[in-house]
Amino acid sequence: MVTSHDVEAIEVENLTKRYGRPGEGVLAVDHISFAVHRGEVFGFLGPNGAGKTTTQRMLTTLLEPSEGRIIINGYDLARDAYPVKRQMGLVPEESNVYTELTAWDNLMFTARLYRVPRKERAERARELLQAFGLWEKRDIKVEAFSKGMRRRLSIAMAIVHRPSLLFLDEPTPGLDAQSTRAIRDLVRRLNAEGTTIFLTTHQIEEANQLCDRVAIINHGRIAAIDTPERLKRAFQRVQSVEVALEPDGQRHGDALAALPGVTTAVKMGDKWRLYTQDPSSLLPLVVDYAREHQARIVSLSTLGPSLEDVFLEITGQSVGTVRHETQEGDGRRPGMRGRRGGRR
Amino acid sequence: MTDGWQERVIDEIAQAWTVTVKDIKVYYLRPGMIMFGVLMPFFLFFSFSIRRHIAATQGEARLLALTLLFTAAAAGPFIIPLERRLGTYDRLMAAPMSLLTLLLGKMAVGALFAIAVSLVALLAGVLVFGVAVAHPWLLAVGILLGACCFAALGLVFGSIPTRSPGDVQMPSVLLRWGLLFISGVFVPLRDMAPLARAVAYLSPLTYAQDLMDHAVAGTGMLSPHLDVAALLLFGILFLSPSIWLHRRSRQLGY
Repeated sequence: MVTSHDVEAIEVENLTKRYGRPGEGVLAVDHISFAVHRGEVFGFLGPNGAGKTTTQRMLTTLLEPSEGRIIINGYDLARDAYPVKRQMGLVPEESNVYTELTAWDNLMFTARLYRVPRKERAERARELLQAFGLWEKRDIKVEAFSKGMRRRLSIAMAIVHRPSLLFLDEPTPGLDAQSTRAIRDLVRRLNAEGTTIFLTTHQIEEANQLCDRVAIINHGRIAAIDTPERLKRAFQRVQSVEVALEPDGQRHGDALAALPGVTTAVKMGDKWRLYTQDPSSLLPLVVDYAREHQARIVSLSTLGPSLEDVFLEITGQSVGTVRHETQEGDGRRPGMRGRRGGRR
Repeated sequence: MTDGWQERVIDEIAQAWTVTVKDIKVYYLRPGMIMFGVLMPFFLFFSFSIRRHIAATQGEARLLALTLLFTAAAAGPFIIPLERRLGTYDRLMAAPMSLLTLLLGKMAVGALFAIAVSLVALLAGVLVFGVAVAHPWLLAVGILLGACCFAALGLVFGSIPTRSPGDVQMPSVLLRWGLLFISGVFVPLRDMAPLARAVAYLSPLTYAQDLMDHAVAGTGMLSPHLDVAALLLFGILFLSPSIWLHRRSRQLGY
């Protein structure tokens, strides 16, 4: 055991998970190595099936690795899981609360399970229920709670014993904007209080807003690991110009995609995002195009690469609602492709 | 939280009890528990005992053995796969307690359920049919040991890596039915052919039934010491496959 305060919160070496027999089964996680520093919010990003949840389940002792080593707060997880379990909290993707119990009973159960001293239990439960806006509902069975309320209770249960390391698996999908914001604020607050947070998500914007560093996992391997801003800087080629034209903004897609320097045109709601390596040269061309076609420019802006752009580049996914590609961009004929939207 | 092995033991006992109390609150009144744990032994008892002219004490001993088997073993196959499906089992597996502690907590859920239902059956026998218990202390030991042993048997099925209670309840019920017919419940041990009796000795229910016969009617065939030792041994043995199956589940991701 290492007792230094300088040890990493998480150190992973050659972590591998193989389902089924060697050579025959599925390699879900393929010899990944990374470290999570103490006190940071670490985002673990990846498309569905990339190995995010498998990795997180191995880190939280729920799944046995096929190979590799996990060290948490200086303890080797394979040999010394007990002290690690005392120091970690887990919020899984599905809110695993007991719906037959009240919010109060759920919290008290978890506090007892984690051996929170008897004198502190009630006070801690009250503090958390108030902080999470559930105090008024404390005596109501959780089966009557909304998804957002269950999520908040699930997080409260995970931190009732004041863990130094919190694992959050997809904390906000399916929640309304209010609940999403409340949970993100809570993550920031917990981190400000010193909790290291391992955030597994496929929501790029969430990682962009919350994480000090992110790792992108794809096909079971770490494809990139750095701060969001450094990752974006490394992908300057995915800059863009975003323009909204009136009237009939929708009909300009093919023409805009054909402008010199445009590699891809993607419809983003009522706007078009034109990907280019040289936004400054493209801007006057867009203005000229609007003038020639008697279209009014409602908005026009240049954008650097978003974390989503970086993510999609790294994971090699196609993007968008509607995508027009130029021959100049990739040597293929213009076409239509799907893309996930989202503004920075 | 506390340090040192003594404190650790106290922590683990408290955690096992926490799991037990939670399960009692959440699951005891669920239809699956009522159907497989309460109604089934009584239906079986009446199916095989009505119009068969057996003494009240003999009937009571039979009812108690049936109740212990079916009620105690109902909890594990119902609760654990259901918790796996709902994700709440991850909460328990990630908690700072040993696997044995978790299993003992779960075992206590089935055992306490069986003890409570057995007491109802006993009270009904005493108050309605005037049954006089021959050895009350032996009965108390028998109910306790039988409940723990069969709850551990239920855990074996509950530990099978699956998230569907239906996948394990059917084989679990089938095994219990099988035990019923080889264990001297409906055909007394002394009336069995030698080969059938040899098979009966492999079943924990044989010893539970014999102990109930001793305790209620004073007519057991084997030594009560042997019955007690066998139930204890079977209970401990049943924990081993449960631990192995849980480790297997951890490898498979259940």
